[in-house]
Amino acid sequence: MIRNYFSIAFRSIRKNKAFTAINVLGLSIGISAALVICLLVQYDFNFDNFHKDGDRIYRAVTVSTFADESYKNPGITSPMADALQKEGTGIEIVAPLRTEWQIKVSIPTTSSNKPVVFKKQANVVYADERYFKIIEYKWLAGNPAASLKDPYKVVLTSSIAAAYFPKAPASDLVGREIYFNDTIRSVVSGIVADIDKNTDFNFQVFISRATLETTSLKPRDWQQWNNTNSSSQLWMKLAPATTPKKVEAQMLALFEKNRHKEVGETGKTEHLLQPLSDMHFNADYGNYHGHMGHKPTLYGLLAVAAFLLLLGCINFINLTTAQASQRAKEIGIRKTMGSSKGQLIFQFMSETFLITFIATVLSVIMAPLILKIFGDFIPSGLHFNLFQQPLIIVFLLLLLVIVTLIAGFYPAIILSGYKPVTVLKNQVIASGGRSRNANLRRSLTVAQFVIAQVFVIATMMVGKQINYTLNKDLGFKKDAIITLSTNFFDKNVDNKNVFLQKLKAIPEISMISLSSNAPASGGSWSSTMKYKDGKKEIETDVQIKLGDTNYLRLYDMKLLAGTYLEPSDTVRQIIINQTYSKVLGFQNPQDAIGKIIEWDDKQVPIVAVAADFHQQSLRTPIKPLIISSWASSSRTFNIALQPQNAEGTVWSTAIAKVEKAWKEIYPEDDFEYSFLSEDIAKYYNSEKNVVRLLSWATGLAIFISCLGLLGLVIFITVQRTKEIGVRKVIGASVSQIVSLLSKDFLKLVLIAFVIAVPIAWWGAHKWLDNFAYKTELSWWIFLIGGVVMALLALITISIQTIRAALANPVDSLRTE
Amino acid sequence: MLLELKNLYKWVNVGGNRNFLLKDVSLNVNEGEFISIMGPSGSGKSTLLNVIGMLDQFDEGEYNFLHESVHKLKEKQRAGLYKQYIGFVFQAYHLIDELTVYENIETPLLYQDVKASERKALVADILDRFNIVGKKDLFPTQLSGGQQQLVGIARALIAKPKLILADEPTGNLNSKQGEEIMELFKQLNNEGVTIIQVTHSEKNAAYASKIIHLLDGRIEKEEKLS
Repeated sequence: MIRNYFSIAFRSIRKNKAFTAINVLGLSIGISAALVICLLVQYDFNFDNFHKDGDRIYRAVTVSTFADESYKNPGITSPMADALQKEGTGIEIVAPLRTEWQIKVSIPTTSSNKPVVFKKQANVVYADERYFKIIEYKWLAGNPAASLKDPYKVVLTSSIAAAYFPKAPASDLVGREIYFNDTIRSVVSGIVADIDKNTDFNFQVFISRATLETTSLKPRDWQQWNNTNSSSQLWMKLAPATTPKKVEAQMLALFEKNRHKEVGETGKTEHLLQPLSDMHFNADYGNYHGHMGHKPTLYGLLAVAAFLLLLGCINFINLTTAQASQRAKEIGIRKTMGSSKGQLIFQFMSETFLITFIATVLSVIMAPLILKIFGDFIPSGLHFNLFQQPLIIVFLLLLLVIVTLIAGFYPAIILSGYKPVTVLKNQVIASGGRSRNANLRRSLTVAQFVIAQVFVIATMMVGKQINYTLNKDLGFKKDAIITLSTNFFDKNVDNKNVFLQKLKAIPEISMISLSSNAPASGGSWSSTMKYKDGKKEIETDVQIKLGDTNYLRLYDMKLLAGTYLEPSDTVRQIIINQTYSKVLGFQNPQDAIGKIIEWDDKQVPIVAVAADFHQQSLRTPIKPLIISSWASSSRTFNIALQPQNAEGTVWSTAIAKVEKAWKEIYPEDDFEYSFLSEDIAKYYNSEKNVVRLLSWATGLAIFISCLGLLGLVIFITVQRTKEIGVRKVIGASVSQIVSLLSKDFLKLVLIAFVIAVPIAWWGAHKWLDNFAYKTELSWWIFLIGGVVMALLALITISIQTIRAALANPVDSLRTE
Repeated sequence: MLLELKNLYKWVNVGGNRNFLLKDVSLNVNEGEFISIMGPSGSGKSTLLNVIGMLDQFDEGEYNFLHESVHKLKEKQRAGLYKQYIGFVFQAYHLIDELTVYENIETPLLYQDVKASERKALVADILDRFNIVGKKDLFPTQLSGGQQQLVGIARALIAKPKLILADEPTGNLNSKQGEEIMELFKQLNNEGVTIIQVTHSEKNAAYASKIIHLLDGRIEKEEKLS
């Protein structure tokens, strides 16, 4: 029986090539989108979900609140670990970690005196055996208890070991020497296998914690309760009966007991436990500089997949019910042969299954292509291999069944419901049931175009916002400026001055300024500052930028009052921004000049008020800020270039000369520079990805919907062939017939537009709320979106209607 | 007795008026009979045939088929009844275009859950008997009208029905083909199959043992032939 169903399914597929192609294409686009998106979503949701007792693993984090603004820090005050270890209850394991930012690794070699050097090594961490009790590794050499007990011991993962010591087996590596930052001599004491599952614990070099604790390398904040450093992290595994709340209360008690209290303080510090499962998604605390998941994006993607699948299913339902009358005869015959309704439903479902199966096979072929298109959206650890990922096969089978049911069930009911008598009397085109189907088809087409229309408007809206952010006046000049930073460990202050002098000699450079960073930068530095206006004290968390006297001039920033900074090696004067000036209560910027700000027990006078400029992306509002000169702590060179000449050689010459100077002074360090405008554009990478993704989704949604529309139009024109012939004979022109045929369909697109506008408006409104500075929701976006959609629909319709209208009426009438 | 119709009425309502398609039809059919139904267009011939075939409903009266009261049965039970005992032959052949001759003939067996090996044997038998073995892999559109009707009859007979209902089986055929089909019916009837056919042709009607004349939904007269 099934064989019979499939053979007839195959033959009817062959017979209706165009309709089958439309169905298969529409469904396979939906299925491959679902496949790829599920790969993505599954990848992110499978991070660190394999650890033993993972639900009991937490990271202690810090939330500090100043002046109504909270600052979230993945670190915790350093002494907390030892205090919890001694006095804490209900905690199985306390595992402090200290992360290291970009360390230089040198491997001495026997063959030459020069060691092999690896610069800027990330993923380095100070840990001890307690970490390895929480996060389990496979030990290839050494063991957790002994390997990290003493100072100057190092455990490597096998992948990094292979890079540092090529071709050496794990057992031979124990005892080999490694130098960190040229000064810390340490010995390899163990090798662990890399974690081969998805994990945010991407550490590759573990230096024994004793190295910090018992030597002169001990960080300044090691014993300081009042200092929170994001590199000082604390993981713990709670006992089964302990709730996070209990531990948080213990941490609060310990903190209050030990910290140094100040009079009149307004800030507040909390220590919270972040579940392990939250780390991969919570950008407030971050992971270890690895790829992170963004839940709203992932859910958005799932919605996109669902919509594309739905569009494919709608096509199927529309085309199949539209064609139903062609199958009516077969149904009638089968019923007189004794087929039950159930058997017919099963037959049509198996036909749907076959088409869906073809679509699925096609989408498996297309999936790698789509993964490539979305390359920068897709984390590097994600792979697609059908045969190594049995879950994908299960998922595809599930999808196959679900799509078959959604797409096939309604048409199957309709088809199997035909009464044999009416069919066999050739009265299929009877009234009642047919117009109900036609109404359903219309509603489904409208639904399709609502989805497509919302996609179109959303894409235009997101594009408009990105455009706005990229072109908005940030309050400073960002073009033709490059920035580069000197090595943090370079202790020789003279180097910077020598470099500065060399730069000044380059004619292609118009101005140079030394600063902590550019006006808008990813990183930020802030501190609590106080101002006494006679009556009360105003305490504010203030952003700090260091810049020499040229800083404001180079960036073309305006002074509202006061003068530029005088050159200084230490903080002697400050410029405040307008926002801070308002926070301090000055109506007129001029009033702020000469007032004293207390910063770290130092009293500093305000010499100027600068106009506000954006310190980060437009998502964050402008914050109170000071600019001060402090040459020894400024490591970033801001270089304004001369205007580009006609040949476009000025900038490249300048950069070449800067590089030459750099190499002379810092031969050890890589020359890395960037254009400020490009750095700023990078803040909006995630938005750009959203736009790209939306554009694709929009394109596909329009494509699928128009395919479905085309199918319907083909069907209708075939059905109305005789009518068209008669009208032409009577004297209708081609354009009259085209408009007659197109009118009904355009009406549907118009209805879809009316429904889509409020939905799109609401969605765009929600999304724009993410931005502190946003473009407005212009009416013309909706209008253009509607016109674009209508035009595309019209073109689709015309493909078929014009052909139908041009047909010679003699042919169509003769066949009747 | 194979089937019995008692005071059967069927009507449609057109603008408040009852329009009778069948009016007080009573009929007894015994096993082994060959009946022709005649009458002008619109007299209700096909309707009567469809009612007998249980493809169509009626509004009033009784219909007993092999001691089952058809008017009391649910649709599913009716379908079970006719698929077991009745074979249909149509004027327009009504073969499934997407299926080969072999598959068309096999279809009723599929719906009666006959085993594959048995199906094969039965279809082979009938192909042989109708001399269409060579055509078994062709599609209906590749056959002449007479051949298609032959396949249609083969299909109707495959499940060994007690009754064959034929709605103008020769209507689309030329006279020679028509004659062959009628000869076939005669032969089948001699083998014990009950046949009811609707026809316009006096000549074809004469193959039957009884002719029923319909007019405006009523049985006008029954004519016994020897």
